[in-house]
Amino acid sequence: MEQPKETLVSLRSVTRSVTLPDEQQLHILKGIDLEVHSGDHTAIVGRSGCGKSTLLNLLGLLDVPTSGELEFLGQPADRLGNNARARLRGSTVGFVFQQFNLLPGRSALDNVITPLFYAKGREFWRRRELAMDMLDRVGLAARANTMPNMLSGGEQQRVAIARALVRRPRLILADEPTGALDVETGHSVMALLDTVATETAAALVTITHDTNVAALARACYRLDSGVLSPLALADTGVSA
Amino acid sequence: MTGVISTLVEAWQELRINKVRILLALMGVALSVAALTSVVGVGNLAREGYKVQSERNGGRVATLALSVNGPTPPDPEKIEKVYQGIQQRYGITTSTHMGQTQAGFQFPRGVTPVSMTIVDIGYGTIHRVPLLQGSWFAADDGQRLAPAVVVSEAFYNQAGRPNLTTHPTVTIPGDRPATAVIIGVVPDVFPDMPPAAFILTEGAAVTGMKPQMSEFKLWVGEEQADVLMAAITADLQGQFPGYYAQANRVDYAAWGDPLAPVQLVVGGVAGLVLLLGAVGMLNISMVTVRYRVREIGIRRSFGATSGRIFVGVMMESVVATAVAGIAGVMLAVAVVKHPWIESKVAPGLTEYPAFPVDAALLGFGAAVLVGALAGAIPALVAVRVKVIDAIRF
Repeated sequence: MEQPKETLVSLRSVTRSVTLPDEQQLHILKGIDLEVHSGDHTAIVGRSGCGKSTLLNLLGLLDVPTSGELEFLGQPADRLGNNARARLRGSTVGFVFQQFNLLPGRSALDNVITPLFYAKGREFWRRRELAMDMLDRVGLAARANTMPNMLSGGEQQRVAIARALVRRPRLILADEPTGALDVETGHSVMALLDTVATETAAALVTITHDTNVAALARACYRLDSGVLSPLALADTGVSA
Repeated sequence: MTGVISTLVEAWQELRINKVRILLALMGVALSVAALTSVVGVGNLAREGYKVQSERNGGRVATLALSVNGPTPPDPEKIEKVYQGIQQRYGITTSTHMGQTQAGFQFPRGVTPVSMTIVDIGYGTIHRVPLLQGSWFAADDGQRLAPAVVVSEAFYNQAGRPNLTTHPTVTIPGDRPATAVIIGVVPDVFPDMPPAAFILTEGAAVTGMKPQMSEFKLWVGEEQADVLMAAITADLQGQFPGYYAQANRVDYAAWGDPLAPVQLVVGGVAGLVLLLGAVGMLNISMVTVRYRVREIGIRRSFGATSGRIFVGVMMESVVATAVAGIAGVMLAVAVVKHPWIESKVAPGLTEYPAFPVDAALLGFGAAVLVGALAGAIPALVAVRVKVIDAIRF
């Protein structure tokens, strides 16, 4: 019998609003209901400015909802303090950004090591070995000592993926991971993310406006004007 | 434990990566620390030199000089009895008579006048007399038939620098010719000083030397000096009615530390230099934090807590200024302990004191404090950075 999947994040009627300088409220997310389980590969598509990144920030505990319930591993996010959220984020969530966001002046290896500075015990003490292993997994062991500006876009994104995965997160959040790459490189990066996430049984949530990227996911949602709705793969216009 | 070590390792990695920027920022701090530490170190050396010189002239802290003056000179026997009585009454163990006169000594090149200081054994302790060779007077030196003399280096040179272990003698010609034994050599007080020598009161009596002016000195504890001064003055006044009797402090510290105002001014200037260094460091740190907003956001996304970011930014500054502090202190030690500087700052010293630990600690402490202050403000800015905005910065 198949084991029930663990719920990593659960959003119920979540809204997120910000106050504009003219005191008006801007409602970015409206009544979002979403559950992410371990092993899920979910894509959220939407046009620029529809609230995709805001949703990703909520899922990654970088932000808190204005209203509604957000539970992370069964714990209500609003009851967690900033530091508790930071620690939970560090140990459970891995981020992959559109612009890679590699730290300048540090080699690929040093970039992958960085999250392990916030780990404890064996993870911290074995940081170099763990980072090298992860660079090897993404096929960049030979370029471990190369500076980011000497790497191609695809290589930089692979370093960013190695960095996101080095602490073995249970939830990988990818914000437009192929946005700065050409189609072919983007495809190989997505394939890599998919493979590594499957191997580590991590949930992968990809935010994209690219329907080709969305088609790689097993579940797909559309975010339009702050409203999230399921999207059949056929609707993306791409054959799965 | 891992948290503390990982914070330090992270701070060190940041320093390694940003070494050029940090080096530039720290150069000012290192030089400021070197200036501050050098001022304290040189001040200490100058103070030590001044103290030794002053102690050789005026006596150790606190030295009292007793005097009784009047229309006619007081009876020498009575005054001697009174001085001894005062010493016993107040339990003072170290004292000396001190008189000046001149005597001719027979040197290989002829008879030369020598400035003689007639003293008791206590003079060596009260004036902390430094010896280049031989020894100061001992208790039985007063009984010698050939009086002992402790001579200046100029005297010793004129006598042909004889070996003191052979008990060399010099002749004092005159009405009562005598032979004196050189038992010790003291450094000259100033360059090209004419020959000088010390002789005990008993020895001076044997050779017929009479002091042209004489005083009596007592060495007392600094805390009791004021009380004793008043008591001894009253005591003397009571025993010599109609005379002007007094006990005065004659040591260099009688009117407070004479070098304190100078050191305060120079220290103030050095402190100002340090402050400027700190402002420069703060300025660079602030600019750097703004430049690193995105990096801070990325680190927060990896799980760095706000406390960790605060400590990280602050530690980076503290670790850097601590290294600059060590460099500054080393530079100051190299400057202050340079033989040329030592000889110019404290020409009266034969042995230079070790570099003062308090100056080194002050310099290092100031550097760490500057690092903490220059790091705290950017660290507060870093903590207030909103993660989402920072990542998109």
